[in-house]
Formats: sequence, C-alpha cells, structure tokens
Amino acid sequence: MRMEIMGEAGPDDARTHRRYPFELREPSDGLHIRFAYSPKTLEDREESRLLMERSIALYVAPDQQARALENVDRYYPLKNLITISVDDGRGYRGACHRHDAEQRLFLSEEEASPGLTRGPVEPGRWCVTLSLHAIVTASCSYRLEVWTAEEGENR
Amino acid sequence: MRWIACELHTHTAHSDGRQSLPELAAGAAALGFECIALTDHNTMSGLAQREEVERETGIRILPGMEWTTFYGHMVTIGARAFVDWREAHPQRITEGAAEVHRHGGVAGLAHPYRIGSPACTGCYWEYEIADWSDLDYIEVWSGTWAPIKTDNLRAYALWTERLNAGTRIAATSGRDWHAQEETDEPLSVTYLGLEDERTPFEDEAVRALRRGRVSVTIGPLLTLEASQGGRTYGIGDVLVRSAEETGEPIEVGVSLQFSAREGRWSLPPQTFSLRLVGDGGILAERAVDAVDGGYRLETPAGGTTWLRAELWGVVRGARALIAFTNAIYYETGEKGARTP
Ligand SMILES: [Zn+2]
Ligand SMILES: [Zn+2]
Repeated sequence: MRMEIMGEAGPDDARTHRRYPFELREPSDGLHIRFAYSPKTLEDREESRLLMERSIALYVAPDQQARALENVDRYYPLKNLITISVDDGRGYRGACHRHDAEQRLFLSEEEASPGLTRGPVEPGRWCVTLSLHAIVTASCSYRLEVWTAEEGENR
Repeated sequence: MRWIACELHTHTAHSDGRQSLPELAAGAAALGFECIALTDHNTMSGLAQREEVERETGIRILPGMEWTTFYGHMVTIGARAFVDWREAHPQRITEGAAEVHRHGGVAGLAHPYRIGSPACTGCYWEYEIADWSDLDYIEVWSGTWAPIKTDNLRAYALWTERLNAGTRIAATSGRDWHAQEETDEPLSVTYLGLEDERTPFEDEAVRALRRGRVSVTIGPLLTLEASQGGRTYGIGDVLVRSAEETGEPIEVGVSLQFSAREGRWSLPPQTFSLRLVGDGGILAERAVDAVDGGYRLETPAGGTTWLRAELWGVVRGARALIAFTNAIYYETGEKGARTP
C-alpha cells in the first residue's frame, strides 16, 4: 500500500480536520508516514500584527490588552500548526502533537515513533487525520505519504 | 487522610515536551512530588513506560491526556480508555467529558484564560458549558509563579463565581511542564487527599479530584475542616444544616504544615494572613506565623453555601495568595437530614 497526498490550506481551513483513509488488505511489518508542510511561519509583520490585535481583543482581559500589545513581539513569528493522528480498523493509534513542519513516523508491532502506539499493523480501514490547528499564512501546502514496510521507500 | 504532593499537568516527547518520562519523573522526585499525571497532548502512548518508571523513581504516575482541541484544552486524568478529542464540538464539550467519566476519568479546564490562536492554538477556553456539573475541576493556577499571573487571577475568579452559583467544582494547579529547566520561580503543588489507602492508588487519587479533596500551594500545606452537631467535615464534603442551625456560627479548624516538602520551597520571613472565604467574601481572618499548627476560627452565623481557606503573604515583593483549599459545601436541609 502506498498513498501520496498533496494538499493546500488557507486561514479559513483552520480548526478543521482532514481525514485520509486507506485500506490495508494484508498484515504488514510496519507503516511509514512522512508529512511535511510549508511555510511554517508568517514573516509579514504587518499581517502578524493584525492577527495578534484580533487575538488580544478576543482573549485578553480589557485592562491587560494595552500591555499585551506592547509585548506582542514575543509571539512572533506566528506559526502554522498541523498535527497528525492515526487510526487503524480497531481504533486510535496515537497522535504527534508537535511543531515540527516535517515528520518521519513509523509504526509497527515492536516500535512506534513518540506519540504513536506500537502494535500489529493489521488489515482493515486505516486513516491518517490532519488537524489544522492554525493556518496563519495566506496559503500552506502539505504533502502526506503513507506506505507499508513491504512497499519500500522508493517505488 | 493522607495528603500527597502532585503535579497534574505534564508533557513528554510523546507530544511537544522536551523530556522523557524517566527524566520527568526523576525531576518530580527531586522536587519532592510523590505523584504526577502524564497529560500529553492527544496521546497516551507515553504511558507504555509507566510501570517501569514508577518502579525506578518511586513516583506514582496517573494516566492522563490533554485534549488539545481547537476551542480549548481539557485535561483528563484516570480514563481507562481513549476518548476521541477530535469529535469535540464547540457547543457540546460536556459530551466528551461524560465519555471520560464513563471510562472512570475526570475532566478539567486547562489554563482557561491563556491567550488562544494563533499565539497558542486552542489554549483559551471557548467551549460553551451548559451544565457545569459535567466538569470536575478548573486548573486555576497554570505555570510557575502562578498566583500573580493575570490569566490565573481570571481563572481563580471564575472558580469563585462558579462556587457562588452553586457549582461544586474543584480547583487545581498544573505547571504544564514541558522540559527539565531550572527556574527560581515558585512552583505550585496540588495536594490530593487520600481517604482510603486500601483502595488502589489511582482510583483514590482520581476520586480525590472528583470530590474536590484538593489543596493547592506554593509553600505550606493548608487544610480545613468544619464541625457541626458532633460531626467533622473535610475539604470537598457537604455539610448539611437544619434551618435553625443556619443561625449558629460554625467552628472551623485550619491546619498549616510548613514542614510539607521542607527544603523544596522558601518564603520570606513574615507574619502571614489566614482567611476563611465564602460566598459573602472574607468571613474570618487572623495572623499566623511560619510554624506548623492548627487554628480554630469561627465563621459568623448565616448562610454561606461554601467555605475555603486562603493563606496570603508577600512573595517576591508582591502581595500574593500563597495557598488555598478547595471548598467545604454547606447545604440547608431538613433537621436531621444526612449528607447525600
Ligand atoms: Zn494546554
Ligand atoms: Zn499542556
């Protein structure tokens, strides 16, 4: 099994999940996942400032807002955040909630990347879920590859 | 009752922490904690090492997971099965909490007023809560040097507001501990009261959270009891009074243990201020010195619906809340009525 997805997301897609199901017909010695998205950061300071002004107005107590705006630099650069979680035919196999914009993950009976649960890689309907926590850039492109150990890295 | 020092909000490399579970547990032991909850973001995979690390460090590790969702972070502790955080709907978070309860766990609001997206994604609590009794606790002190942080002051005020509205809900601290980094800032400790030491530790600790047998501090351990009609009630208990008894003052005992976690914290020498607080504000106040001891205070007659103790003093040049107990609840019932 090999799956390759190229995707694109914008600010309006933040706070949504994207599910990429696939079918495993035979048991496998392991499952590889490679995921990368770009850009990671919003470099435009004017745009960042606008986003933070909105955020501070929403979340910071009125009497603290002026101070928060003065110290707004500590939040820069603003970041996109997309995280991965994995399900097999029986249920959840964990999540990798971290800021790395490029992740190589592996899952097998004996071992699993941090965040994922090791265990047999059995036939059934699997799913990789991308959780788009924040998209601060006008557009963010990603690439998701999933393949079984039997397939090998290169076709 | 045995009070155990806990750190209830931690992360490892299984999510975005920069520490392993052995490093985290060893760090907790060095700080005098007896128990931590491992609450990685959206995964429980780090718990595979749990028993081995418990054996090696002597630290008890409670299973947990921080629901790191788009509309809020919810700490869950003690659930015996995974509950899907991805289904959380902005108007129906209590369904998720109910599912956590079905699996034996408790659920609390994590750092509810920390700034949200995009600075910290989902960190601000935006979920509507139709029925507060669906949630077990509010993490009112987040991070280090917690008592003076403005986000925490808001969370503490939220807790007080809920108590005033009649909600029986606990309040905790959580460092949101991601790495072994030296800090000279005061660290918060959540003490959980274990009532029955014959039941499995995990069950008893989770029950303490559910029942609000909780006391929080950056220094001494502060505990509280109230007596009525020959019976004594502890933190988290419900004291039922008849209408006539409501007219009588209540005898309250407060205990301070400066020897708790001795050597792991320090406060400048001073005379502290001990307060009893209820829904009418401050009910009683007295000065106390930095020695282990018990104090009897009397609350005025009349109807408060809850009562907690607070210890105030000067820390790092600022007047601050140093410790607080969770509430004892008062209920006016039929004469002779029993605690439900
Ligand atoms: Zn959080
Ligand atoms: Zn956290």
